[in-house]
Amino acid sequence: MALIILLPLAFSLLAWFLPSSITRIVGLISSFATLTWSVMQLLSFDPENTLYFDLGLRMVRFSMDSLGFTMVLLTNAVIFLIFLANFQRSIVHDKRFTALTLLMQFGLVGIFTSNSILGFYIFWELTLLPVFLILFWFGAFEKQKALLQFFLYTLLGSLAMLLSVIGLMHLTNQQSYEALLAADLNQLGNTGIWLMGGFLLAFAIKIPLFPFHTWQAETYTKAPTAGTMLLSALMLKMALFGLIKWVLPIFAGTALDFWRWPIIVLGLIGIIYGAVIAIKQQDLKTLFAYASLSHLGLIAAGIMLGDNATTKTAMLQIVNHSIVALGLFLAAGIVEQRLKTRDLSALGGIAKIAPRFAFWFAVLTFISLSVPFTAGFIGEFFLLKSLFSAHALTGVLASTTLILGAVYMLRAYQDTMFGPTQISTFADLHWSEISVFAILTIAAIYLGLSPQCLTEFVGHSLVQLKP
Amino acid sequence: MAKDLTLILILALPLIGFVINGTIGKKLPKVLVGGLATSVVFVAFLLALTLFNGLNGVQIVRLFEILNYDQITINASFQIDALSVWMTLIITGIGSLIHLFSMGYMSHDPGYHKFFTYLNLFIFSMLLLVLGSNYFVLFFGWEGVGMCSYLLIGFHYNDLQKGKANSLAARKAFIMNRIGDAGLLLGLFMLLGQFGTLEFQKIGTALIANPALQGGAMLLITLCLFIAATGKSAQIPLFTWLPDAMAGPTPVSALIHAATMVTAGIYLTVRSNFLFELAPFTKEIILYIGLATTLVAAFMALRQNDIKKVLAYSTVSQLGLMFVALGFGAYTVALFHVTTHAFFKALLFLGSGSVIHGMHEEQDIRKMGGLAKLMPITHFTFLIGTMAIAGIPFLSGFYSKDEILAQALHHNPAVYAILVVAVTMTAIYMFRLYFLTFHGAFRGGDALRAKVHESGLSMTLPIIVLAFLSVFGGLLNLPGLFFHGAAHWFDHYLSAGTFGLSEVHNAHLDFNTSIGLMIFASIIALGVLFWALRNYAKKGALAKADDQMSAWETLSAKKLYIDEIYDLLFVQPLLKMSAFISNVFDIQILRNGVYALANGVVNTAAQTRKWQNGLLSSYLFWMVLGIILFVSYYILKISVWH
Repeated sequence: MALIILLPLAFSLLAWFLPSSITRIVGLISSFATLTWSVMQLLSFDPENTLYFDLGLRMVRFSMDSLGFTMVLLTNAVIFLIFLANFQRSIVHDKRFTALTLLMQFGLVGIFTSNSILGFYIFWELTLLPVFLILFWFGAFEKQKALLQFFLYTLLGSLAMLLSVIGLMHLTNQQSYEALLAADLNQLGNTGIWLMGGFLLAFAIKIPLFPFHTWQAETYTKAPTAGTMLLSALMLKMALFGLIKWVLPIFAGTALDFWRWPIIVLGLIGIIYGAVIAIKQQDLKTLFAYASLSHLGLIAAGIMLGDNATTKTAMLQIVNHSIVALGLFLAAGIVEQRLKTRDLSALGGIAKIAPRFAFWFAVLTFISLSVPFTAGFIGEFFLLKSLFSAHALTGVLASTTLILGAVYMLRAYQDTMFGPTQISTFADLHWSEISVFAILTIAAIYLGLSPQCLTEFVGHSLVQLKP
Repeated sequence: MAKDLTLILILALPLIGFVINGTIGKKLPKVLVGGLATSVVFVAFLLALTLFNGLNGVQIVRLFEILNYDQITINASFQIDALSVWMTLIITGIGSLIHLFSMGYMSHDPGYHKFFTYLNLFIFSMLLLVLGSNYFVLFFGWEGVGMCSYLLIGFHYNDLQKGKANSLAARKAFIMNRIGDAGLLLGLFMLLGQFGTLEFQKIGTALIANPALQGGAMLLITLCLFIAATGKSAQIPLFTWLPDAMAGPTPVSALIHAATMVTAGIYLTVRSNFLFELAPFTKEIILYIGLATTLVAAFMALRQNDIKKVLAYSTVSQLGLMFVALGFGAYTVALFHVTTHAFFKALLFLGSGSVIHGMHEEQDIRKMGGLAKLMPITHFTFLIGTMAIAGIPFLSGFYSKDEILAQALHHNPAVYAILVVAVTMTAIYMFRLYFLTFHGAFRGGDALRAKVHESGLSMTLPIIVLAFLSVFGGLLNLPGLFFHGAAHWFDHYLSAGTFGLSEVHNAHLDFNTSIGLMIFASIIALGVLFWALRNYAKKGALAKADDQMSAWETLSAKKLYIDEIYDLLFVQPLLKMSAFISNVFDIQILRNGVYALANGVVNTAAQTRKWQNGLLSSYLFWMVLGIILFVSYYILKISVWH
C-alpha cells in the first residue's frame, strides 16, 4: 500500500531526469501505472477495515479507508486523464509539467491518506508548490496581479489552517485521526469555534465559497488548460475531503453547530450567485468557473449538514463534478487551442465543421445539466432533498440551480457550436480527446445507473458525528 | 410470456434501437435505420397489447435498487395497471405510426439516423415516465423526455434561415420545462418527507390508513405537482414554449408536442389522484388555470397563419380542456380526451407534415389553397381530423369533448358557458385552417404549384390509420344513452384497474339534459362548419395581411404579446441582474477590494518595498521558504516531545 504514495513521487523524480523528448509518454505511462496499481489494490481492499501503513517516518503515518481510497482513485484517474487530454498540446512536451503534475499527485494522495493532522497539513502545503509553478511557468498571466491574488488568498488560508493545526495539537496533545476523533473539543468552548474557523477559512478559499471566490475565475482563465483541470477537478476537492474526513467529525458539537448554518448560507449564496453571473459571461472558461462556484456551493452546503446519508451523495456529486469539470474545461481548451479565443461572441457554427466535437461537448453539457442516467441526476436530487428537509426555504432556493443551470449551459453550448460562423477551419477531435470524453461519459453513466457502488463503499468509513 | 419479462422487453426494445442507431446508424442504409427504429416501437406495441389482454389488477415489477438513502430505498420498479398499459398503448401505437411516417418525411435529411436515435430515446423515456411504479422513476422519464424534446426541437440547428430560431426555441422549451421540473422536485421532497417513500401505492395506502396526513401538506404537494404539470403540459403560465416548439420537424410535433409528452402533466395528475382528492383547493386552481388556458390559446389560434402554429395553440387549448376535467375530479374523462386527442391531433399534425412536405417546406397558409385536388388523401384525412376536433357528431372528439362539457354543466354552469365559447372558437380556427389550406385557389405561385405532390405510402398509411381511429375512437367510451351495455367501457376499464380511481366523480346527467347537450354541441359545430364554408372556401378568400387586421385580430396574431411581456418581466431583469452582479459587485467591489486589501498589506510594511521587484518567483521563493521553515520547525518540535 505504501507504493500508492511513493509511486507518483518516484515517477515525478524520474520525469525530472528523463529528457523532454519522451516526457509526454513518461507522463502518460507513469500515471497509468499508478492508476492500475491503485485499482489492483482496490481488488484486495476491505472497505470495512482501515489499513494502516507508514513510510518509515515516525511523525507522519498513513491510513487507507474507503473514503480516502475513493479520493485516491479519483486523483489517479484524473491525473491520467489530464495527461491523456493534453496529449497533443505543447505543454506535455515540457518535462517540468510532467514532473510537477506527478508531484501534485503525490501531494494529493498524501492528503487523502494522512493519518495525522500534521501530515494532512504538510501535504496540503506541498500541493501548492507544483500548482504555483505550473501557473507561473505555463500560465498566461500578463498581469501579475491575478497570480498574486491567488498567492495571497492561498497563503492566507494556509496560515489560518496552520494556526488551527498547531492549536489543535497543543490543546489536545494529539495528532492522529483516531485520537482527535476521541478528544472532546466541546470543552474548549469558543476556542474550538476559532480552531474550526481557521480550517474553514482555508477550505472556503480553496473550494471556493462566496465571497472568497474572486481568485477563481481569473486564475482559471489565465492558467493553461491542464492547470485549470488540476485546480477544478482535484485541488478544490481537497477542501471538501478535509471537511468530510477531518473537520466535521473532530469539531462535531459546539463548534460545528456554530458554523453549520453560516457556511450553508454561503454555499447557498454561491449556488445562485455563481449561476446568475454565469448567465452573462462571454468567456467560456469564466463561465465554467462560475458554474463551478454554483455546483460546489451545493456540495459544500450538503456536507455541512453533517449527516452521513447526505455526505454519501455529496461524494457522488464530488466525483461527478470532477467529471464535469474535466470535460467542460477540456472543451473550452479545445476551442481555445484551435481558434485562439474563448469569447462567445466570436464563436459559433463549430458544430458544422467539427461534428465529433459537437457531439461530445453536447454529451458533457447534458452531464453537467444532471440529466437522467448520469451521476449528477442522483447526486443533485438527494443533495437538494437533504437541504430541503433541513430547511425548506434553503432547499427551494437551491433548486433554482436546476433552472439557471439550463440557462447558462445551453447558452454556452449553443453560442459556441450553433449559428452563423466566420470560422473556416476547426480540427475535429484528436483520438486522445475522444478517449477522454468517452471515459468521462462512461463514468458518469455508470455512476448514474449504480450510484450505490460508490455511496455504499464510501459509507463504510463515514463516522457518525457526535451530537 | 411472463408479464414482467414482457414489460422489460417493452422498455428494452426502444433502448436497443437507440443504442444501435446511435452507434452504427450512420453506416447503415436508411431503410434499415428507419425500419429498425419503427419495428422496435411496433413490437413494443404488440407486447403492450398482450399486457392489455392479460391485465389483472396491479402488478409491480421490481428490477433493482437504485439507492439506499437514509432508510429510504429508491427502486427501479415498474407498475402494470390499466393506466400505465393504456398510456403505453398510446405511446407505442401512435409512436410506431409516426416512426413510419418519419421514414418518408425525413428521407432526404442528412441527420436521418440521428433523428431516429432521438425518437427511440424519447419513446424509452416516455415509457419510463408512464410505467414507473414510483415518482422517482417517473421523474427519470420526465427529465428524459425534456432532454429528447430539446434535441428534437433544435434538430435543424444548422438550417441557414431558421437555425438560430430553432435552437432558441429548443432552449426556451428546455428552460421552461425545467421551471416545472423544479416544482416536481420540491413536490417529491415533500412526499419523501411525509411518507418516506415515493411508491404510488404505498403513498396511497398510507393516506387511506392515516387520514390525518391530509391538510396543508397535501395542498403544497399537489400545488408543486401541478406546477410541474403546467410545464410539461403547456398550461398558463408556462405554455409559451409549446408554439415555439413547432420549430422541430413535424413528426416530432405530432408525437411529442401533441400526442404524448405534453399529456405527461395529465398523466401525473391522474396518477396522483389520491393526493389531489385530498386537496380541493388545488383542484379549484387546476380548473381555473385549465379554463383560462383553453380560452386564451383558442383565441390565439384564431389568427395564426402558420399551419403548425394553429395546431400548436389548438393543442394548448385542448390540454386546457383536459385540465378542466381534472379540476372536476373526472380523471377518466380527461384521459378519454387524452386518447382521442392523441388520435386526431397526431392525424392533423402528420397531415400538416404531408402538406409541408408536398409544398416543399412552405408552412404559411396564405400561400396555400386548393390543395384538395393536389393531395387527395391528405385532404380527406385532414378533413376527418378537423371534424373530429371541431366536435362534428359521432366522430371521436365529439364524444370526449361532450363528456367534459357535461361535467362542467353539472358542477358549474358558468364554466360550461365559457367552455362553449372556447369550443366554438376551436371549430372556427380549425375550419378556417382547413378551408384556407385545401379550398379556394392556390396562392403559392405557378412554379410551386407544379411541384406540389401527394406524399408516398409510408406517409399516407399512418395518416389513414389515424383517420380511422379519429372516426371510431369515440366507441371506446360511448355515452350511456346510446348503448347501455357497452357504454362507458373506458371509464370502467380505467377505474377498475387503476389505484385510487373510481367513477363516482364523473357526473352522469339525466337523459334529457344529455341529449340536449349533444344537440346543442352539434348545432354549434355544424353551424361553424357552414359559416366557415361561406367565408373561407370561396375562391380567392385569403387571410388578411398584417396591416388590415382589426384590433382583436392583431391581438390574436401577436399572441396577446405574452412573449414580450415575459421578456420584459423575467428575461431582461435576469440578464440585467447578471450583468450588474458580475461587473459591479463581483469585479468592482469584491475583486478590487481584495486587490486594495492586498496592496495595503504589502505597502504598509516598509521592508517589503525592496522585495517588490515585480518578480513572482521571488514571492514564490519566500512563500515556499516560509512554509518549509514552519513545517520543519513543528516536525522537529513534536518529534522532540515524543
